Amino acid sequence: MALPSVLAVVLGLCLTAYAAFAGTDFGAGILDLVCGRSEGDRAAITFAIGPVWEANHVWLILAITVLFAGFPTAFAAVGTGLLAPLTVALLAIVVRGAALGARPNAEVGTRGQRGLSALFGISSIVAPMAFGMAAGGVAQMSVARAASKVPWTSAFSVTTGLLAVALCAHLGVSFTVCRLARSGDAALAGRFARRGLWTGGALAALCVVSGAVAVWRTPVFAHRLEDAGLPFAAIALIAVVASVVALNAGRFALARRSAVMAASMVVWGWFAAQAPVLFGRRLTIDAAAASGPALTAVTIAFALVLIAVVPALWLLHAIVGRPLREVGS
Amino acid sequence: MSFQLSLGAISHLTAGRAQMGTSLSFHLMFAVVGVGLPLMMLVAEGMHLRTGDPVWRALARRWAKVLAVLFAVGAASGTIISFELGLLWPRFMAFAGGIIGLPFSLEGAAFFIEAIFLGIYLYGWDRLSPRVHWLAGFPVAISAALSAFFVVTANAWMNVPRGFTLSHGRVTHVDPLAAMFNPAWATETSHMIVGAYLATAFGIASVYAVGMLRGRRDSYHRKALALALGTAAILAPLQVGVGDLLGRTVAANQPAKLAAIEGITHTERGAGLNVGGFPFPGHAGTILNVKVPHLLSLLAFDRPNATVRGLDSFPAADRTPLAAPVRLAFIGMVGIGTFLVVLVLWYWLRRRLDGTGRAEKLTLAAIVAAGPAAFLANELGWLVSEFGRQPWVVYGVFRTSSAITTSPGLGTTFTAFSVLYVGLTALTIWAVRRIARQPVPVLVAA
Repeated sequence: MALPSVLAVVLGLCLTAYAAFAGTDFGAGILDLVCGRSEGDRAAITFAIGPVWEANHVWLILAITVLFAGFPTAFAAVGTGLLAPLTVALLAIVVRGAALGARPNAEVGTRGQRGLSALFGISSIVAPMAFGMAAGGVAQMSVARAASKVPWTSAFSVTTGLLAVALCAHLGVSFTVCRLARSGDAALAGRFARRGLWTGGALAALCVVSGAVAVWRTPVFAHRLEDAGLPFAAIALIAVVASVVALNAGRFALARRSAVMAASMVVWGWFAAQAPVLFGRRLTIDAAAASGPALTAVTIAFALVLIAVVPALWLLHAIVGRPLREVGS
Repeated sequence: MSFQLSLGAISHLTAGRAQMGTSLSFHLMFAVVGVGLPLMMLVAEGMHLRTGDPVWRALARRWAKVLAVLFAVGAASGTIISFELGLLWPRFMAFAGGIIGLPFSLEGAAFFIEAIFLGIYLYGWDRLSPRVHWLAGFPVAISAALSAFFVVTANAWMNVPRGFTLSHGRVTHVDPLAAMFNPAWATETSHMIVGAYLATAFGIASVYAVGMLRGRRDSYHRKALALALGTAAILAPLQVGVGDLLGRTVAANQPAKLAAIEGITHTERGAGLNVGGFPFPGHAGTILNVKVPHLLSLLAFDRPNATVRGLDSFPAADRTPLAAPVRLAFIGMVGIGTFLVVLVLWYWLRRRLDGTGRAEKLTLAAIVAAGPAAFLANELGWLVSEFGRQPWVVYGVFRTSSAITTSPGLGTTFTAFSVLYVGLTALTIWAVRRIARQPVPVLVAA
């Protein structure tokens, strides 16, 4: 495989990891907004998403860096065309992180705390909605006949935005349920698991609806989706159904894995449908790639990143999972 | 909509620069702590391992808690900046991305490692043996310094661009290593990293000096102050030397920037160093100036009679339109630096002569002021570097006005981000104060 393609795969991997980790994080925020009936519920959700804390945005930073270093012209075009939705997503990311970080410090039951909770929940919906709309716009641009504005507010983009929100909600529910069941809170896990039937149903429906809207509004892209993205879409749908069934059967770990599988298939299906185009019609993977030596340097750098980061992440999760030592301070 | 109308008066370029400048100066505060605090934390925990004194461990634990909050805010503001490069300056990115992509990728990697090991460090207090836990702090401190190093090499390239050839406005023959290790990399990165350590050290000293002024002169406060000012005593004089070397880099590569920094209007042979020399609105020259003969030529070029070009020897379009703020920021930075060096030497000299180790009120008050001053010096240093480089985004190659996005609406985004930063600052101060108010277990037990 040529270097630009390798780097494009790295970009896809970073986005997949971001969709899985940050999606879970966003989803927990949505769960918090919709089902957080009591302080106990909210505390349980905050506890559950502890391991996927804010640092998961490093995946987004890495994706941006790959785009910027490996495909500078595509990065410039994305920045110019998607100024509005990306700015909204950024603001939402920062607001939700700050609200979540500050909430435990506020007095229980005060207006301040309720305000922070609302801020956390709403921005958890806004961020994936904006990212999803941006992605829908990029997908449509890849088959646009002439260079034009990114159609990130089109009907198709709105459906992909909603799809992203449902995906996050479902990821969030299945992860939270999994963590709660493991920590022994079976009652709450069971209650949230029933919500998972709704999020899973919405997700499956939106997968179908976005396909239909694509056929109706952007037939050319729909054709590409059918051509190259169909296997991914099919696996995504099966994974969603599997996760709903697993949630119902109380097999939460399986439900979580299936939800993550569905998320990655959505990302790769989108990629496959618009490959080899990165942005617009002309910026293909090869056309947008940086020049030879720069590309080599960046590819080596990212290979090193993955070699260093994967074991370190494994170590982090292993240590977080360890019991506390008896020796006190 | 009303925001957009009220901001309609400022230009598209100004709004973009204001948004980038606000984001960077906000991020700098947190980045500086993100680089400096891991080092202080490691030293404190190392002292605990060596002496067994639980107070050291309590300090390290408290600082780690604060670091977790500041790191999270720094990560968020860093995410904003990585996006803003493309959202605000797409044409600069299309031009430079392929040349300085390498240090940015490495910076991303170092930041990622820092985040992971910080997680291990934070979750590991009661899960790892003391020695292993201490060792887990090393990757945090090292990758923090490395990420500062990488990102500043990219800035050094913007000042002294190398490693590519231009033919008909297109970039050809890129050499990523030559671009990264451009003539300014060594001096610029060391000035930044030492600056970050210094700001953190004085910041810590300032916090604990406040406590001591309020009568809390316990071992916890005394140890924190001694560690912070001990670090500062080594680094503050070093920073004077590093700053001088950076000045020489500027003199050799950016003559127009040097002229703005040193307040040299007309070309001089055997130029004197302006001490004071404040620009004053409505006044042609500078005020309160003392000129030390030949010193600038000697400092910048090692020859007392070397020629230093004045601002008016450059075409107006090629020199910074912000010469007065550059000069003021430079005076501020050097002034604060001098104050910090004198203060830290005075503190240790007095301690040695006095023998009781008790710092008097006036010294403590000066230390309280030194914390914010050291952070301000970092900000001023960046103003000197960034304002002084104008009107170029890549010195002599690419103009800032050619780099700005063609998308409209920057007035609105600038307003939105400014509101966000004000809110984030308030929230951060509130959260850190809540941490500071928690009782210290060791002191409670004692």
